[in-house]
Amino acid sequence: MNPEFQRNLWLELTPARLLLMTGFVLFLIAIFSAAPTGFPSSGAVALALYYFLAILWGTRNAALSVIAEIRERTWDFQKLSASPPLALMWGKLFGATSFTWFGAILCLPFVIYPIWRGEGSTPALSELVILLFQGVLAQSVSLLTSLALIRRQHNYWRLDAFLCQVTGIVAAVSAYGFSNLLSIGPQAQATFSWWGMTLQPHWFQFFSLLVFTGWSLVGCTRAMRLELRLVNGPFVWLAFLGFLGLYEAGFESWFAFYAESDGGAVDAAALRLMIADLAFACSAYGMVFLEPKDPVHFRWLVGEARAGRFGRAFLALDCWMLSFGATVLCTLLLAFVLWGDSQPIAGAPGPALVLPLLAALGFFARDIALFVLLRTWSRERGDFAALAALAVLYALLPQIAGPGRGLLLPQMTAPALSLAAAWLEAATIWAWAIARIQRRAG
Amino acid sequence: MIEIRDLVFEYPTARALDGIDLSIAPKAITALVGPNGAGKTTLLRLMAALETPYAGSVTIDGVDAQLKPREVHRRLGYLPDFFGLYDGLSVRRCLIHAARAHGLASEKVSAAVAEACQSVGLANRLDQAAGTLSRGLRQRLAIAQALVHGPRLLLLDEPAAGLDPAARRDLSRLLLSLRDKGMTLVVSSHILAELEDYSDHMVIIDHGRVAGGTAFKGAQLYIALAAPDEKLTDFLVQQAGIKILQADTSQARVICEGGAPRRAALLQALIGAGFAVSDFGEDRRALEELYFAQLGQSGETTS
Repeated sequence: MNPEFQRNLWLELTPARLLLMTGFVLFLIAIFSAAPTGFPSSGAVALALYYFLAILWGTRNAALSVIAEIRERTWDFQKLSASPPLALMWGKLFGATSFTWFGAILCLPFVIYPIWRGEGSTPALSELVILLFQGVLAQSVSLLTSLALIRRQHNYWRLDAFLCQVTGIVAAVSAYGFSNLLSIGPQAQATFSWWGMTLQPHWFQFFSLLVFTGWSLVGCTRAMRLELRLVNGPFVWLAFLGFLGLYEAGFESWFAFYAESDGGAVDAAALRLMIADLAFACSAYGMVFLEPKDPVHFRWLVGEARAGRFGRAFLALDCWMLSFGATVLCTLLLAFVLWGDSQPIAGAPGPALVLPLLAALGFFARDIALFVLLRTWSRERGDFAALAALAVLYALLPQIAGPGRGLLLPQMTAPALSLAAAWLEAATIWAWAIARIQRRAG
Repeated sequence: MIEIRDLVFEYPTARALDGIDLSIAPKAITALVGPNGAGKTTLLRLMAALETPYAGSVTIDGVDAQLKPREVHRRLGYLPDFFGLYDGLSVRRCLIHAARAHGLASEKVSAAVAEACQSVGLANRLDQAAGTLSRGLRQRLAIAQALVHGPRLLLLDEPAAGLDPAARRDLSRLLLSLRDKGMTLVVSSHILAELEDYSDHMVIIDHGRVAGGTAFKGAQLYIALAAPDEKLTDFLVQQAGIKILQADTSQARVICEGGAPRRAALLQALIGAGFAVSDFGEDRRALEELYFAQLGQSGETTS
């Protein structure tokens, strides 16, 4: 047996705890089975209990599986073990949550059996798979967040466990609510189109859940590899970005409804690029917030590049750097497509969007530079300071800037001003950040 | 056993290690000493492949720690200065987990656990929860965890911190017995007197550099005479292989290379020359004096 899984089973599944959990679950369900009409059914209670155990409690245990090791100073010992990253990852993910899974699985027959009896085996089995994968997705996202946070090396562990829980729960809820999102809005239909294929939201949700859970587990394994001092290389993250871009771009017909504001047709290729570009930019913002942005790593990368060892430097790029590069490339490609495209998007012909688009790229570059710059001031608070700065730049200042809004946001009415301002701001902040990184080297 | 070349390690605000070059001999105990913040712990963590250097290399038993960190992890045991244990597990389960996590085959685990327990003297506490052990016993369990997979190299960071005198004596005996079984040990500590009991070599780290070091075990001798003799210093100067550290008419501290045969020859020569030798042996103050001499500091200013 996986030693890490076994260790967790020793700690989690003691006979007394198993007995207590069994008694608690069966007692609660039995009470609601006997309750008069008007009270929740036993199936509904079992489902609520499942969510409580697998998602609410499970995400906490998944996060603590790493955070507690740091807190109890046993993490170095784990890092020195011979366990492969995958084994250590799944030993923690399923071992630390084994007790909550035990209780959650006790609930499942009470959830699934009524569906089986009422709707048949296929809906029941699909519901079973969705529930199980929702739990795994939530817990793996929580574990992934905890691994990302320990790379940042700060000490707010109580808050961190809560943060990990929140990200895990948001992931599970997003996966569950996704099909509902597809069926709201003015274009709501029982089916929807993805890359030209007509799909049912339920089955799309089902397969999306499986795929994203898979990516989450890949992410956990790669984060564990970093903890074990193994080099990840950029290719899996690039593959994920490719997947994300393609996945999101498939919703072009769904977004087209909003883009066709003047009734004309929208260039599907431009719209797909735009959606993929947005997905890359979001991944860059997310990762630049999460990753350490270690000045020593920057200096090392520059040193390798100066020495002509570009291959080594490329293999050691952080995920946010790759996302940043993907966003820049995708934006330039989109600008090229828009330049030769006369079909309107959101009321404007393609060429008219090029300058605002390049201005948006400049503001994006400035935002990323802000994270890097503020991280050189404070390892623990720099990223939150950058978030606050972005809130001021995008929410507060435009309200009071009046005609000067073009200095802060991409403007259709003054595109050249926006473009110049965006890139001037980006260049200034990057230069400042680089100067601070180099100064600290001495 | 350990080859370190031009090793540089940086924190965002400071350079912790600045061009360390070091070779650590196999089957010996090497003491890593230096003031607080000198870089000892960082150096140990780099040896254990727990950190990535900015530049330079660490090679453990021929394996590059940066290229193959997991291979290095398999070959060594490491006890950090602040370590933790799985308090909810029994001593037996802690060690079974450690053995299995280090990749020991299932059929070898029981024997390895028994041997590790025997080595550290925990054989009668196998079913006691780790959380109920005293500080000294926790230290022993942590060491047992680090050596249960039979590593050839053991790295210990401040292993005697917080131990009472009896536990420290036991620790010294344990480390010596491990060395005698062929293990290489690197021990970082502030307690120079204790290091002297078991260390074969000393490496001084200061401001992220190697500030000095020597093989000292048995090499530094203290000679005392029952009656003062003016000729003592001149006599010692004439002896081959003897370096005088300090000498006057009634006592001397010398470095005597060449091991036991050379020491025996020196003693014989002293008696033969008519000196009334009242004390002749290993200099118990050797490590501390070497430390301060090589750091160029006085004992009052440094621990």
